[in-house]
Amino acid sequence: MPSQDAKRASGPESSGAAGSRLSRRSLLQGAATAGAAGLAATALGAVASPALAATSRTAPGQSPAREQARTPAGPIVVHVRDARSGDIEVFSGTSQTRVRDQDLAARIARAIG
Amino acid sequence: MSSHREAPEISKDPVADSTDVYAFVSPDKPDTVTLIANYIPLQGPAGGPNFYEFGDDVLYEIHIDNNGDGRADISYQFRFTTEVANPDTFLYNTGPIEALSSPNWNRRQTYEVTVVSGFSGRVAGTGLACPPCNIGPLSTPDYAALGAQAVHSLGGGISVFAGQRAEAFYVDLGSIFDLGDLRPFANLHATFGLPGLKAGPGVNATNHLNVHSIALQVPISAIRRSGHPTIGVWTTASRQRVRVWDADNGENVDSGPFRQVSRLGNPLVNEVLIPLGHKDQWNSLPPSDDKLFAGYVAHPGLAALLPDLYPGVFPNLAALVKSGKPRADLEAILLTGIPAGIIPGFQNFTGAVQADMLRLNTSVPPTPASKQSIYGLLGGDAGGFPNGRRVTDDVVAIELRALAGVTYPLIDKTFKPDAAAGQLTDGLTPASVSSPPLGQFPYLGIPYSGFDNPS
Repeated sequence: MPSQDAKRASGPESSGAAGSRLSRRSLLQGAATAGAAGLAATALGAVASPALAATSRTAPGQSPAREQARTPAGPIVVHVRDARSGDIEVFSGTSQTRVRDQDLAARIARAIG
Repeated sequence: MSSHREAPEISKDPVADSTDVYAFVSPDKPDTVTLIANYIPLQGPAGGPNFYEFGDDVLYEIHIDNNGDGRADISYQFRFTTEVANPDTFLYNTGPIEALSSPNWNRRQTYEVTVVSGFSGRVAGTGLACPPCNIGPLSTPDYAALGAQAVHSLGGGISVFAGQRAEAFYVDLGSIFDLGDLRPFANLHATFGLPGLKAGPGVNATNHLNVHSIALQVPISAIRRSGHPTIGVWTTASRQRVRVWDADNGENVDSGPFRQVSRLGNPLVNEVLIPLGHKDQWNSLPPSDDKLFAGYVAHPGLAALLPDLYPGVFPNLAALVKSGKPRADLEAILLTGIPAGIIPGFQNFTGAVQADMLRLNTSVPPTPASKQSIYGLLGGDAGGFPNGRRVTDDVVAIELRALAGVTYPLIDKTFKPDAAAGQLTDGLTPASVSSPPLGQFPYLGIPYSGFDNPS
């Protein structure tokens, strides 16, 4: 995909039919905003590329290590994409993480069932 | 319309719906370019008490590509914040708003501008005031002054404005979307076996309506790359991926990374060329991915329709369509820019990458007003569309004519356009816009007031 290029992508990246875009910049931003978990999810193929202004507003002056250690102040939104496979997206601030956890998905499903 | 309500999803989200982009060398400051992105289409001026405003939850951007790869080299980001001074009144204003600092103004917006270049971003301005909407002679008695107060300097020779303006794009929507029965030529329409129509003058459907504009005036030297006089310009709007209605607190909660939901470069591309099933996808992608859609430019559906809608009027266009030859003229105009050697003394080619961007060759000086043609390059005026786009350019007529084959001789001199192709128009001119453009930044006219335009 063209966004493998080191040049900054044209804007917030798409999850459209052209597929996920993983740029060096998005990795940097993912690390800055989501900590190690976010970076790991990005490496697995999820996209974490918040716009720069929004990112800096979310975590002004925050180092990745410090942010990793704290619990996000705002709400955390969980999207179970597929309970059977355990495909889960977790959103907080301007970050997202995608994990695969069948047990967690099953527990969430039971909680609302 | 240029891009008003042009795709199914964005038509339900007007706050994030880009409507027009303009890019031109500033006529009164020719060492600068002016970039304008309009949002929130078809605003009825009397739409109170909650008058129109930018979305606090939307990331608005104006992008510049200065090396021709269809990706942003410089982006200007805009984030808005709304403040309500007194939540205990239903009124937008409790008295005349005679200055942006007026205590009578109850609901106001400010914004922050961030300039992103490469991997770094710099906040260029915060707390910048938008003007109020134009309400009427009692609420906004001197709107021109309010608008002028809302022009801010960001330093480095950059000026910025964000707020309501008069819609400058003129178009006869009522005829175009009634199966293309352009009023000046309605007597020639096939009418699908229904009773014939009479020819008549065009009607500007967007007259007396407003939009919200984000305008920048930037020194050319700050955005142009050495040896690359042509820049590509487009705008995007993005939303966070998740929105949850928090019923307990009565507010939306947004979360997750921003994703692009609206895009606009050249007028009418997503509106007219991209089929319904791909419009939302087109809005979500960057120009660098436009190769995916190049087939719709090379074989435009509207060019095939015109001979059917107007039987016997476009025989040469019909033969061209039937030949199956790709419209390399349209690909050049919309996707790559026009290479040198095609039009004497002019080029705005940015390279082989097919990307829908409004291309502006910044080395072309602004055309004096007395010599401007609203048909831009088609009218022999290199200062207008598709070399950038000025506020008064008749982009509907230019693109209709191009689609009808007027520009095909640029790549095949043996092709003879139909006589009607060069006359196509929806019958409108800049005079169809009641609020005329300003002579200085931000150039778009004073918005129509609710009192004077109640319906």
